[in-house]
Amino acid sequence: MSTVLRVKDVTMQFGGVVAIDNLSMHVDEGEIVALIGPNGAGKTTAFNCITGVYEPTNGEIAFGDCIIARSHPTGKMKKLYAGAHADKYLGARVRLSPDKITRLGIARTFQNIRLFKSQTAFENVLIATHLRRTSNPFTATLHINAAEERRMRERAMEMLETVGLADSAGELATSLPYGQQRRLEIARALATQPKLLLLDEPAAGMNPQETDELGAFIREIKDRFQLTVFMIEHHMNLVMDISDRIYVIDFGRQIAEGAPAEVRDNPAVIAAYLGVDEE
Amino acid sequence: MKKSTKAAVGTLLVAALFAGVWLAERLAGANSMLVTVLEKGAIYALIAVSMNLLNGFTGLFSLGQAGFMLVGAYTYAIFTIPAARRMAVYQYYQGGIVQFELPCLLAIVLAGVVAAAFAALVGLPVLRLKSDYLAIATLGFAEIIRAVIQYDKLGPLTNGSNLLKTYPTFDTALFPFAVAGVCIAVILMLIHSTYGRACKAIRDDEIAAEAMGINLFRHKLLSFVISSFFAGVGGALLAMYQGTVQANAFKSSMTYEILLIVVIGGMGSVTGSVLASFLFIACSEWWLRFLDVETFIGTVQVPLLRSGFRMVVFSVVIMAVVLFYRRGIMGDREFSLDAIARAFSGKKRKGARAK
Ligand SMILES: Nc1ncnc2c1ncn2[C@@H]1O[C@H](COP(=O)(O)OP(=O)(O)OP(=O)(O)O)[C@@H](O)[C@H]1O
Ligand SMILES: [Mg+2]
Repeated sequence: MSTVLRVKDVTMQFGGVVAIDNLSMHVDEGEIVALIGPNGAGKTTAFNCITGVYEPTNGEIAFGDCIIARSHPTGKMKKLYAGAHADKYLGARVRLSPDKITRLGIARTFQNIRLFKSQTAFENVLIATHLRRTSNPFTATLHINAAEERRMRERAMEMLETVGLADSAGELATSLPYGQQRRLEIARALATQPKLLLLDEPAAGMNPQETDELGAFIREIKDRFQLTVFMIEHHMNLVMDISDRIYVIDFGRQIAEGAPAEVRDNPAVIAAYLGVDEE
Repeated sequence: MKKSTKAAVGTLLVAALFAGVWLAERLAGANSMLVTVLEKGAIYALIAVSMNLLNGFTGLFSLGQAGFMLVGAYTYAIFTIPAARRMAVYQYYQGGIVQFELPCLLAIVLAGVVAAAFAALVGLPVLRLKSDYLAIATLGFAEIIRAVIQYDKLGPLTNGSNLLKTYPTFDTALFPFAVAGVCIAVILMLIHSTYGRACKAIRDDEIAAEAMGINLFRHKLLSFVISSFFAGVGGALLAMYQGTVQANAFKSSMTYEILLIVVIGGMGSVTGSVLASFLFIACSEWWLRFLDVETFIGTVQVPLLRSGFRMVVFSVVIMAVVLFYRRGIMGDREFSLDAIARAFSGKKRKGARAK
């Protein structure tokens, strides 16, 4: 099985705050991997590094054979840097922009839902087909690309059907209930035709029934679109149910890794979560 | 509504519009206030729509519209003054360096192209930065270009600070209507294309748009360059309307007028910009003229009415719009045949807009 995503020695430091500390992870093709940890552990920050929103302070991230980020502390960060391996990734820095990374095949959803608010559910998904266009501004403006336009619309509608929102296609995206907005974000991500899907707390805001259905749904789209899934989630039932492997991080550092059963009984994990509960 | 009926009704409406303009010109006379408003209104409609493409549809704030209009106006004038008249126009510069003339329509297109080229020059460095810098950069560009064009050393090309004149103009309001109409139609087609949708996505949420694989820089530059192209075309039309061109007329207050039109019409509504343009021009050129005229009723002077008061009223209107009516006349809705049909049949919009 080949590795789809490899995160190597990544540290992300904001000023003096080390949000991710020397984190290494990998996700293999066809896996469902979960990333869990208490609030503020650095999970979303890890996703932001992978998708190019942030440039890691140090370390390397590769998608398949392609290095999408590689950097070492520079400038003011040289003095401030508090992480490890400061000398390991010298040399040319690599930073692909988020749109390039999406075009390579990594799509994501956002923890704090980011739908295009003035647009309908259908239009939200339709926009996500733009990146695979073959038209240029001239042919598109003159509507010479009718075949492509039809394909885009069909694909968008198909994705809406996939997540069960076909009936709400004409509704304003932000007028949908929370759980449906989450599913719309998934439809939008799928429309970019990804190989790797990053889900940031897909169950947040869903009611218990929706959460129950989500697990089966993630499995279903994984099989149907031959995806690899990397997911941040707080609902332990869901995580334990569908994950092949789990990474647990706390204060930006990995504290455990393994199959659901191993992780559940890991004392460090229990301590990290209990620590949070005691707050 | 079926596509074929829509096309038929649309064609009829456009024909009726042009017939109406033609008739108005016949009845009211070519020099009437009505025709002035129609001509200038059509030109401003194009410029406002071009600004709306950027501000309303892409969420980029530019304050350089007057600068790009200036570039367009000068380009048009410089390349259409008949060779025989150049000696008289460029009297301080031995007839200038351009010694040929382009056909009017070609020069209008060139006006757009040159304005677009300047926009690319401004946009290439600036649009990689945060969007806020664009407003400052374009405002600066508009001020600088106005000064540069009057620079004496450029006189052989631009005639320095002297007027450009005797270039071909139009003698019927149908001309600006036709040119502006075609341009606005093209902008509408762009907005409804996949590129237009990408621009709207950037407006709504840059981070999400980028996560959907949309190259922010490229699409912002595209929108900015196209917007400036049409501002340049609008500038050429304005030059034709005025009959003479001088850089000092293209002050930033002109940009603010257009911004006002866009805001009154509704950010993100093309039809709103068009309606607001005619409304604005009618008010400023015609209906509110009396505000600037000292008026006596008997021997009592009506208070406040004197030169400049019109602008005070305008400023108050802007503030009122911004404070109480932020979405403008149309909001981001459009005036469309479908919408009218729906209104008449009382049907609610439902289901996908997927065709
Ligand atoms: N842009 C930023 N600038 C400064 N600090 C940041 C930034 N982004 C994240 N952080 C910090 O990094 C830490 C990790 O935040 P992150 O959002 O990744 O946590 P998380 O694991 O996703 O938490 P949650 O479960 O609440 O979503 C936090 O302390 C946060 O304040
Ligand atoms: Mg988070």
